[in-house]
Amino acid sequence: MKRRVELGLLFSCSGNYQLLSAASKAGAEAGIAAVNADDRRTVAFQPVARDPEGKTDRYAPLCAEIFRDSSARHVVGCTTSLSRKEVIPVLEKFGGMLWYPCPYEGFEANEQVVYMHACPNQHLVPLLAHVIPRFGRNGFLLGSNYIWGWETNRVARDVIGDAGGEVLGERYLPLGDTDVSRLIAEIRASRPNFILNNLIGPSSYAFFEAYGRLGEEDGHFTPERCPILSCNLTEIELPAIGPAAEGHLSVGPWFAPEPGAASKERAIGPGRGSAPENAASSFYVAAHSAVIVLADLLDAAGAAAEAPRPAFSGRHFATPYGRIAIDPANQHASLPVKIARARGGRFEVVEESPAVVSPDPYLSRYDPARVFGRPSLRAVS
Amino acid sequence: MTRRARIPNLGGATAYVLHRPHPATAPLMRQLTAIGLVAVEVWPELPAEALGADFCFFDADLGFDDQFPWKPGEAPMPLIAMIGSEAPGRIEWALAAGADSHLVKPVGNSGIYAALLIARRGFEARRALAAEVETLRSRVSERQTIVKAVVALSAGGVGEERAYGQLRALAMTWQVTIEEAARRIVELERGERREQPVAK
Repeated sequence: MKRRVELGLLFSCSGNYQLLSAASKAGAEAGIAAVNADDRRTVAFQPVARDPEGKTDRYAPLCAEIFRDSSARHVVGCTTSLSRKEVIPVLEKFGGMLWYPCPYEGFEANEQVVYMHACPNQHLVPLLAHVIPRFGRNGFLLGSNYIWGWETNRVARDVIGDAGGEVLGERYLPLGDTDVSRLIAEIRASRPNFILNNLIGPSSYAFFEAYGRLGEEDGHFTPERCPILSCNLTEIELPAIGPAAEGHLSVGPWFAPEPGAASKERAIGPGRGSAPENAASSFYVAAHSAVIVLADLLDAAGAAAEAPRPAFSGRHFATPYGRIAIDPANQHASLPVKIARARGGRFEVVEESPAVVSPDPYLSRYDPARVFGRPSLRAVS
Repeated sequence: MTRRARIPNLGGATAYVLHRPHPATAPLMRQLTAIGLVAVEVWPELPAEALGADFCFFDADLGFDDQFPWKPGEAPMPLIAMIGSEAPGRIEWALAAGADSHLVKPVGNSGIYAALLIARRGFEARRALAAEVETLRSRVSERQTIVKAVVALSAGGVGEERAYGQLRALAMTWQVTIEEAARRIVELERGERREQPVAK
């Protein structure tokens, strides 16, 4: 007889970033189904789902509701950094744990949060390390006007500077703004070697489309010569961008393998087949993996510990990401790093880390010499 | 030279936490480790090695001057006060000790990274200001020398204003501060130097 454990799910089923949160929710649900169907496991999860409808202010009260109305002490949820920051006081009050399945800008290591997707040393830094030697050192930085864009571009400025490059421009659009004509004009005038795109949602889609048109007029602005780089672009947003995404680059811990490929990677979870086409992305895999890691911990802890402090030390977990670990010091996952190019509505991996990369959320171990394979020389005035 | 904003690289930095052993310091130690620092807990006194530390957290509730191997306000690293009791006397003491930023007890998961960066910025600004004040102070103390030099240069019937202009020209020619130029002129006047002033 399996021990029933209630598990909170806090994802928006509507709102601006519904595509991403729906993928994470589907991943968590598939993870629950996989755990419940696995006879070797001692736990079965009972989901307790709440829907904040994409409204930041709804996250904290709904998270509190999960802790009050159920026995759940673990919640898989949140998509934006803002919503994660909103629920942290609730987690601290109830002693709950959030499993966060999205890439984020780093510089956080809360004891009540397990970070299951990439932080900057697992997305931005390796992406620039891949791009700068191949395309050139000078970049143009774009972002939506909120923390993800600001912080990611801030780190990018440093990394580009360390590579001896120059930031030729840095521009922000209000969330949801799709008027990108000025950005395009500035990019055309400054002729960078690459564009770092931290725009999100409709702004990002509009930019890709306009950049595609720019490329038709001016041969410099093609993915082969001046690619758009994204740190959070996955398969689920490719249909919204359409052919304009073709050839541009993204980074992430997981990309869907080729259709029909019978690789081990294709199977998500033990015996559960593959992810649904509209959800197959690292958002899905991160949430799925979160459930698997939690189940492993609860299996190991036994009935005595209903809400254990996670014992991550010295352990590895077999997840849809592959074999990963969670750094007990900062509770971020060690993850594969893959650089991929959009091709025909999916991503093909062009470079990947030989092993999982340990998380460094505060970039405390960032070393330009190692990133660019040579000592960084800077002019002294 | 202005420093451009950089990834605040705290990896490998050392922080001493001067607080009696208490469960409430555990989150601080955990968080410092998560950020990438080497954290050392000590009580009641800072050891000599602490002089080389990059940060020092201290207890504002039970702390006292003799804990620190330096004079109040002269810490060689950024200081962060851990404040429990908000009694004005304790806050005053923490400020007198030279706290660059603070954390409120019980210390939780958040606020520590911000406290580190704010303390470091405050400390650097304080140190730069102190150096500037020192320079200005020494220049102010040379006022009398300048007056003497101007008097000496105007001795040949030249007006005071022209004499001051000469002094400035000399400072530029010698590539020294105006105070240093004045000192040389006064010394020359006393016959202590052999060089002749060359004024245009």
